[in-house]
Amino acid sequence: MNDHISRRMTTFILITASVILGFYGFSLLRERAGRNTNPYAYDLEPFRRSDSANVLYSETGFIDFSGQVLTALCADPGHGLIVAAGSKMFRVDTINRISEWIPADEPVRCLAVDPERRVYLGYEKSVGVYSPDGSRLDTWQQFSENAILAGIAAGRDVYVADAGNRVIYRMNREGRMLASIGEKDPVKKIPGFVIPGSCFDIQISADGSLWAVNPGRHKLEHYSPDGDLIASWGHPSMRLEGFSGCCNPTYFALTPEGNIVTSEKGLERIKVYSPDGELRDAVALPGQFDEGTVGLDLAAGPEGRIFVMDPSRARIRIFEKGERE
Amino acid sequence: MKPDEKQPVSRRDFFRDGLRGLAALGVATLSGLLMHRSVSRRTVWQIDPDKCVQCGRCATDCVLDVSAVKCVHAYDVCGYCELCGGYSKPDAHRLDTAAENQLCPSGAIRRQFIEDPYFEYTIDEAKCIGCGKCVKGCGSFGNGSLYLQVRHDRCLQCNDCAIARNCAGEAFRRVPADRPYLLKGEQGL
Repeated sequence: MNDHISRRMTTFILITASVILGFYGFSLLRERAGRNTNPYAYDLEPFRRSDSANVLYSETGFIDFSGQVLTALCADPGHGLIVAAGSKMFRVDTINRISEWIPADEPVRCLAVDPERRVYLGYEKSVGVYSPDGSRLDTWQQFSENAILAGIAAGRDVYVADAGNRVIYRMNREGRMLASIGEKDPVKKIPGFVIPGSCFDIQISADGSLWAVNPGRHKLEHYSPDGDLIASWGHPSMRLEGFSGCCNPTYFALTPEGNIVTSEKGLERIKVYSPDGELRDAVALPGQFDEGTVGLDLAAGPEGRIFVMDPSRARIRIFEKGERE
Repeated sequence: MKPDEKQPVSRRDFFRDGLRGLAALGVATLSGLLMHRSVSRRTVWQIDPDKCVQCGRCATDCVLDVSAVKCVHAYDVCGYCELCGGYSKPDAHRLDTAAENQLCPSGAIRRQFIEDPYFEYTIDEAKCIGCGKCVKGCGSFGNGSLYLQVRHDRCLQCNDCAIARNCAGEAFRRVPADRPYLLKGEQGL
């Protein structure tokens, strides 16, 4: 009899202990899970998961620059690309072979190639001009003390975007200043550039007119060589058709067809717009980049290829339309 | 000898008094040095803005009712944007000061129009709970001018900092008490 009672007691104690242990373990796990969640999280995930149905491009390859900190990219039409990694310069030929080019004087922030293949390297406060074989032709140092050069476009004239003074200088190929473009002018209905960071990209279109990004106003602006504002478009929005955050787009490129490829930071997106601002395609969405990637400089190549400089992965990524991996 | 006549100082007295003076000066210098070293060696907790991942634990884990960690603003780094990633919710309907469009859960950021298109943002420290939500928004889209710091006028200096123990980014570190902040921008140079 006693033996029976003692067995029952043991069973009861064991069950009670198991229940208490189970409850304690469950609460501990719950508390730990709770500790790992941030009640004040800034959640961008819903916006990072953009609709991939809009993406008609796919990544078809990349050019590896492992170990380099990429800072600028431009197309060298018919010959490939020119890439800057701080003070190191590289050329990439049409079959994506990399060769080291001239060493730059200081870290290159922007660069451009003119129709005669002269190369213009934008440093913080000066521009280095080089012949196609890499010999130095000139150095332009006539910029003001608070200049922060952030964009260069070269055609018949050379345009230099100064983020520090929020203005674009039109210069001849000898480096003489011809005009200032984009300064606030209510009479000419020019709103003025708002450059919160150091992104201030510019490009010359086939007809010689100038495109400039106005990141603080979330717009692309189209200017005549004389500095008249022809058109502007763009609006702030986390949605795909707009530009997200406080200072986007960061970079852009013009395709041979005249479309405009833009890149953004915050929500890393690459998109193609028509010249009048209609969203044509998405090239790449945030999920295709490391979170926090900045400096997505762009170049448009032949046959619709889009080259995206990805400093986070140290590579130039190649996107093409209508082809999937 | 007349009582008002000064007695000549003997060589022995001169050396004795001189040595006493030198010893007193030495003791004073030594104690001054020791005091200075003890002050400069004293350290306090601070957040390294480069390591902070805005995990929210500064708001939840501080032993004070309202955290001693506050958002601070490097005005020389700020872009003074109309659309501020640290002020407005990502899906804000309008860029105004309405509560439903503000990112800060305690409404601790004030927005003031300066001139077209610039706005200034200031932190109301009494309302700030140190959650870092604005820091994340500012860093994602803007220049990263908003960041968190332990405010030493509020911190209890208990040295067994509950936030430092649980910081997800291991951003808490000891800094000299005479230079207790890790500032961004011009002030941080």
